[in-house]
Amino acid sequence: MQELLGRLSALDPRASLGLRVIACFDELVVGNVNSRGLLSAAASLAGCNAGYCQDLPARMMRVTPRGELVDGPVVPPPGSSTTADGLTVWLERSGPAHANDAIILERLTLSMRIRHGRGLRDLDNRRALGLVLDPGVPVADRRTAATRLGLAPGTRHRVVAAPLFAVWEEHPTAAEDVVPTPYGPIHALVVPHDHPPVAAGPIGTGVAAGVDHLHRSFRTAVVALRLCAPPDTPSVDADTYGGLIGLLADLPPDADQPDVDALAEVMVHPWGPSTVDALVRAGSVRQAARRAGVHHSTLQQRLDSVSGTLGFDPFDDGIGRTRLGIAYLAWRLRTSRVLDLPAPGRPRS
Amino acid sequence: MSVARPEFDPELKAGLAVVGGVFPPTITPDLIPFMRRSYASPPIEETLRGRAIEREEHTVAGHRGDPVDVSVLRPTDAADARPCVLFVHSGGLMFGDRFSGADLVLGWVETLGAVLVTVEYRLAPEFPDPFPREDCYAALEWVAANAERLGVRRDRLLVAGASSGGGLAAGTALAARDRGGPALCGQVLDYPMLDDRGVTSSTGQFDGVGVWDRVSNETGWSALLGEARGGPDVSPYAAPARALDLSGLPPAFVDVGAAEIFRDEAIAYAGRIWAAGGDAELHVWSGGFHAFDIFAPHTGLARGMIAARDAWVEKILAD
Repeated sequence: MQELLGRLSALDPRASLGLRVIACFDELVVGNVNSRGLLSAAASLAGCNAGYCQDLPARMMRVTPRGELVDGPVVPPPGSSTTADGLTVWLERSGPAHANDAIILERLTLSMRIRHGRGLRDLDNRRALGLVLDPGVPVADRRTAATRLGLAPGTRHRVVAAPLFAVWEEHPTAAEDVVPTPYGPIHALVVPHDHPPVAAGPIGTGVAAGVDHLHRSFRTAVVALRLCAPPDTPSVDADTYGGLIGLLADLPPDADQPDVDALAEVMVHPWGPSTVDALVRAGSVRQAARRAGVHHSTLQQRLDSVSGTLGFDPFDDGIGRTRLGIAYLAWRLRTSRVLDLPAPGRPRS
Repeated sequence: MSVARPEFDPELKAGLAVVGGVFPPTITPDLIPFMRRSYASPPIEETLRGRAIEREEHTVAGHRGDPVDVSVLRPTDAADARPCVLFVHSGGLMFGDRFSGADLVLGWVETLGAVLVTVEYRLAPEFPDPFPREDCYAALEWVAANAERLGVRRDRLLVAGASSGGGLAAGTALAARDRGGPALCGQVLDYPMLDDRGVTSSTGQFDGVGVWDRVSNETGWSALLGEARGGPDVSPYAAPARALDLSGLPPAFVDVGAAEIFRDEAIAYAGRIWAAGGDAELHVWSGGFHAFDIFAPHTGLARGMIAARDAWVEKILAD
């Protein structure tokens, strides 16, 4: 993977390779990958052998960038990382260290400790921000972790969520980390609640919250991020959707959503997305026709088709339009591609 | 409902954090220029440095007699006529070059003493069907016709390819059978791209995730076939899943990931070879995304895939 990292930085000099290394080890830890797998990943990322040893019981393993075991003992080279509990981890770099060596060794050391159960006395081996953003962690521990990050009790912040491949015109100095989610690793930053909009894309900005509820800000930020559709919509602010974003954030991923299933049939038509967007945003058929840029009789025909497929008329009463609006947002989340297209070569704005 | 699909192997999933930046899951036509930069092979001189392999360059007559580059890689100590592998590279029919993924087959030159011939077949969409497949077939004919000069054994010719190259290798084997061309002793089809119709359930399972999703596959087949994609007029040499008869083919080695769109077409191809009384060995790697041995060769799963393939090739090719 060293070669892939090299290609990445050649293609996109602004790409953050460190974040990708972190995300890689996060996934290895989540996946319960064994020592050989961890060393293989480190060796592959670094392009040189990686190894570890411990005294009690005496064990040593060295692995090549191709994941092959290397025979023979070796004295841990200078620059090895030794943890307080007797686990020594290293990269066998000949010559000067490479730019990513430090982060690879740091993540390898942490992952090896967790794999070997050395961190069990610790409350949780995850890093501070991962704890703060997880509602399953007891609130007292979240507060402790927040304090370590400089997030004082009583202050309000927003979480900004971005994929690893986001482009940052401006990168705020803030508590930040990579956090595993069901949608893959997400780059999370915590900014003060009154921070001006961050110039980056694609990003989602969560609702403002105190330390105890930053997990909610994070979840709304991820929903906002998934509502992005670059290049037209490179960033979304959760506040724009008020209480709706909370509903969407609380929706289980496998929830049964008959309105969304029906709406998906509408969206198959070439006119579907633009027409539904206009219907949701407009107050009448005429307004919707103007928004969609079609004659009102055309829009009426489409509305009849939409009503027929959905089984209700969005303009019949206020509830119909709300149903359509929620189904529309849920459909956008279901079909969101913003996290799936990390192509540095794709023009982004 | 979200689509149910098999999980990626944890080591491979971790690799995606890096791979995704170079090879996006969804490749649309506007990404072809990016992919040509991103998937270009590293300089071959670097790949060969320190290896006991000699390289010769040749130009052969491809489709319509146009010049096509071919590299011949042979062990430096070759004394007698050697087994030969015609290697067809990966890259979705639209990108890559004759050295893409070559590091995975160079071991056959070093340990088995094979001569590797790799062909710079022309790429879609600039060169649609039949250019890519006929360039490959022409390279096979050239190898057979020049066997003596190249120092290779005519009775031990193998075709091997990965992904789009796997599909082209399978098509080359079909064409050699039907046209009375050079006899092949085997075909290595790594996660081959066999079917332009995109109707298998595995094709529908991978959209926007992993490597080479449903949309990427449509992009590749459309580049090759244009409007003909999925229609009645597609040659089995371009899309070997279309072949009605899979009898009389050389022994096939087929490997594929369980978590990729080509899973079902690869399994079906091996199954149909068996049904026709042929010889096939099929390996389906649990949790494997497309081409995981190329992108993450350090992982346990990739080491297994590479070892199983190398063992089969040794069985077929070794002295």
